[in-house]
Amino acid sequence: MSANILTVDDSASIRMTTKIALTNAGYKVTEAVDGVDGLNKAKSASFDLIVTDLNMPNMNGLAMIEALRQSPAHTGIPIIFLTTESDADMKSRAKAAGATGWITKPFDPEQLVKIARKVLGK
Amino acid sequence: MNTMDPIQVFRTEAAELFEQIESGLLDLLHDLSDQDQIDAVFRGLHTLKGSGAMFGFEALAAFTHHCESAFDRVRKGEVQATSELIAAVLEAQDHMKALVEKPNGDHDDMSQKLLAKLHAAVGGKNGHAATARPAVVVPASTPSAAAAAKAASTNWVIKFRLPDNAMANGTNPLGLLDELRELGECTITVDASTIPGLAEIDPTTLYLGWTITLETEQPRSAIEDVFIFVMDDMQLEITEIKAAAATEPAPKQAEPDLVVEPVAEKKQAATNTGPADAKSNKSAENVRVPAERLDELMDRVGELVIAQSRLSQLANISANIQLRSVSEDVERLSGELRDTMMVLRMVPVGSLFGRFRRLVHDLARETGKTIELETEGETTEVDKTVIERLADPLVHLARNSCDHGLEPPEERRAAGKSPQGRILLSARQQAGEVIITIKDDGRGINRDRVRAKAEASGLIQPNAALSDQELLQLIFQPGFSTAQEVTNLSGRGVGMDVVKRTIDTLRGTINVVSHPGEGSEVSLSIPLTLAIIDGLLVRVGNGRYVIPLSAVEECLELSVEDDMRSRGRSFISLRDSLVPYLRLRELFRTGSKPDPFQKVVVISTGSERVGLVVDQIIGDHQTVIKAMSKLHHDVATFSGATILGDGDVALILDVGHLVLEGQKQEAHLRAAG
Amino acid sequence: MSEAARKIPDHLWGVSEELEVLTFDIAGEMFALEAVMVQEILDLLPETTVPGAKPFVGSVINFRGKVIPLADIRLAFGMEATKPTIDSRIIVIELDVDGEPTLTGIRTDKVHEVTSLMKTASEPPPSIGMRWRSDFIDCLVRRGGEFIILPNLQTIFSVGHERHAADPSKN
Repeated sequence: MSANILTVDDSASIRMTTKIALTNAGYKVTEAVDGVDGLNKAKSASFDLIVTDLNMPNMNGLAMIEALRQSPAHTGIPIIFLTTESDADMKSRAKAAGATGWITKPFDPEQLVKIARKVLGK
Repeated sequence: MNTMDPIQVFRTEAAELFEQIESGLLDLLHDLSDQDQIDAVFRGLHTLKGSGAMFGFEALAAFTHHCESAFDRVRKGEVQATSELIAAVLEAQDHMKALVEKPNGDHDDMSQKLLAKLHAAVGGKNGHAATARPAVVVPASTPSAAAAAKAASTNWVIKFRLPDNAMANGTNPLGLLDELRELGECTITVDASTIPGLAEIDPTTLYLGWTITLETEQPRSAIEDVFIFVMDDMQLEITEIKAAAATEPAPKQAEPDLVVEPVAEKKQAATNTGPADAKSNKSAENVRVPAERLDELMDRVGELVIAQSRLSQLANISANIQLRSVSEDVERLSGELRDTMMVLRMVPVGSLFGRFRRLVHDLARETGKTIELETEGETTEVDKTVIERLADPLVHLARNSCDHGLEPPEERRAAGKSPQGRILLSARQQAGEVIITIKDDGRGINRDRVRAKAEASGLIQPNAALSDQELLQLIFQPGFSTAQEVTNLSGRGVGMDVVKRTIDTLRGTINVVSHPGEGSEVSLSIPLTLAIIDGLLVRVGNGRYVIPLSAVEECLELSVEDDMRSRGRSFISLRDSLVPYLRLRELFRTGSKPDPFQKVVVISTGSERVGLVVDQIIGDHQTVIKAMSKLHHDVATFSGATILGDGDVALILDVGHLVLEGQKQEAHLRAAG
Repeated sequence: MSEAARKIPDHLWGVSEELEVLTFDIAGEMFALEAVMVQEILDLLPETTVPGAKPFVGSVINFRGKVIPLADIRLAFGMEATKPTIDSRIIVIELDVDGEPTLTGIRTDKVHEVTSLMKTASEPPPSIGMRWRSDFIDCLVRRGGEFIILPNLQTIFSVGHERHAADPSKN
């Protein structure tokens, strides 16, 4: 049974590359375009991992992560966020909001697959 | 989408971003302090940089990085936006476009020039205009100095304890242990000393700690990498065991031990949350509350509302703007509190109906008749006090039916009816009202006797012309029931006129339908601004609608064949029967293209059925009914509206009306041949 | 139109000389309505179409947890529907419909300000020559060389609500 991953990013090109990399690694990928879309999709299906950018319109990644953690249905789901190397403040805020781990942008898609494996255990 | 070239996708995306950034910058020129625009421009630059780097547009990423940094400073308030800065960024934009088009061209000179302008515009700090090449950072392997430490394996003692909420936040401690196992031979001991008693255990809290001895060839950094995501918040000690050294994890070795204390963390919800998550009115838990507490609470809310309206009055005449603003907030909040209280006080009508079984049973025995009581719509919710006030009138009406309406068994048989009399108690909601009816299949109301009595009581003139309904309504007039009518059962001082008065005080109406020989039906319509039903949420085109679940018989997919076959005929073939259908997207004139797999929701009003063809069935939905204004009373298709969790409005379909429409359509098409 | 019908309605100014109003634009002309009626001014909100409703009140919006109609006055006057722009606003008012106080939103192209209009500057609407139906207009008020129209919302809403644009899907 392949794991379901939700990717949330307002950049279509990043969504596409991550989808290709993760799908090739055998995962099922669903895309969302911002925090609101991400929340809706997370609520309507069950995901094993959520990968999200932080900087998005309508609802940013931080707010989405917080909202997700408030719902018991999403307790325990790993959430990985994308961050830039210089932003240590963002990292701790995201962790405080309930994120599990991160990957630094720009990232090699294979790296993302490695982190997905680490976090999913498969 | 899979066959598209990602680079092409990036180029298209970049073009859009450029447009966005440009219009954002131009808007900013009108209002240099517009934070939303500043954020939007920053976001655009940020995305451009990130995506650019991902797809190999290094020069673009590097250059954009500086623009982004400049804008970041504006965003954080360190620097004011000036028209000079905006002009610089606009010029920079054009250059960025060139960098996207010809990534391998010679752009360095231009880049340097523009960056210099940019730096000048933000106050000339950041001297370096070097194009920083963003490195691809790979978290799992920071080759810290010693690429040595090959071959020889080292023994480590690793002791760790994650914060309580680690699992809730998605960290899998077993996964960490697995990763350690991958590094080499492990012996793992668990520390379960902080597990509380069974009663206090929270399944999402992590109570365990671990101690692992690990023999590995990997460097220390490999061990640290395992914990990279949780490093900051956990207790972690990694101690190298030198041969013949004790396993004291004393933090005074030459080897730098990593002892990290847990950071007190309590996430402050300072971030704005969007509309999608706010209200969740579904809770899996129930709490028992004594009814008196609810009443007390309601009283407090009532007093609060009174005090608030006094506050509003005072605030309105006051010149104090802040006072007015606070008063408005208080008004809104107390309104919301009242609405919430109303919901708390909603009680299913079934609780009232329950009393009637006993009542009807007793009445049947007293009158020597056999009476069967049926109930419908027990889950319809009604405000607690309304239920209490309806109790007596309903009892009286029930008694009336049993006493006067229903005939004794012999008379029924003679009339060709079953000897068992039938009383139907039903409740339903419609257009913001709750309608409770008592129906019997007895004699019906004798118009002549009513007339005679009314004339005798002086209520009407002899030979006055009255419509049937007007005549029947006379029953509820005070003075109508004379002593003759007061039997043992019905005479408790609760006459029909008291029933009417009670309904009037609830701002409701009474309707009587009666057919001689067949029976009577009394309907009480009580308006409520709030009633809750179970609904089925569906989508037709771009709009979402609610179908009362009580009317839904079944849901099916409209197969393409059925869809084609049904065209030109107005029936869907459902197992052995033909069900008329309505294509809601046509009825609603959505003008959008239908989803490939249409769904049919078959609804019924007891006797008649109709299929409603929709684009998508979304799911169950606890529907709080909001009445629509008078301006929409003429739209018979909808009986009300509701507000969904994301704040959007969904209209509630009026089942009765749609069934009628279905029948009309059927008749039309039959007539047309 | 009889003379009587063309008098300035008393109910507006009553005994005072000034009337506090909110001014706004629709179709390039300036309108005003009594400030006391105004509940709130909103940016454009997500709307839900009501299939089968008269085009004049073709949508509803969620206003603080209530579902209220969104009226397009242009349609009441038989003009094209309002096109939303960045300045468009919704004015939420409370007015009597069939004896019931009803909250409703009104689409506007732009909202200006709360200001006072002088009774002395008011005139009844001319019976001909105006773009707008004169029975939909209470009066005009002169200000700075322009005329501000005070619409008779009562009439607009009761007429609009009774016999507007026959919509076949409704029957």
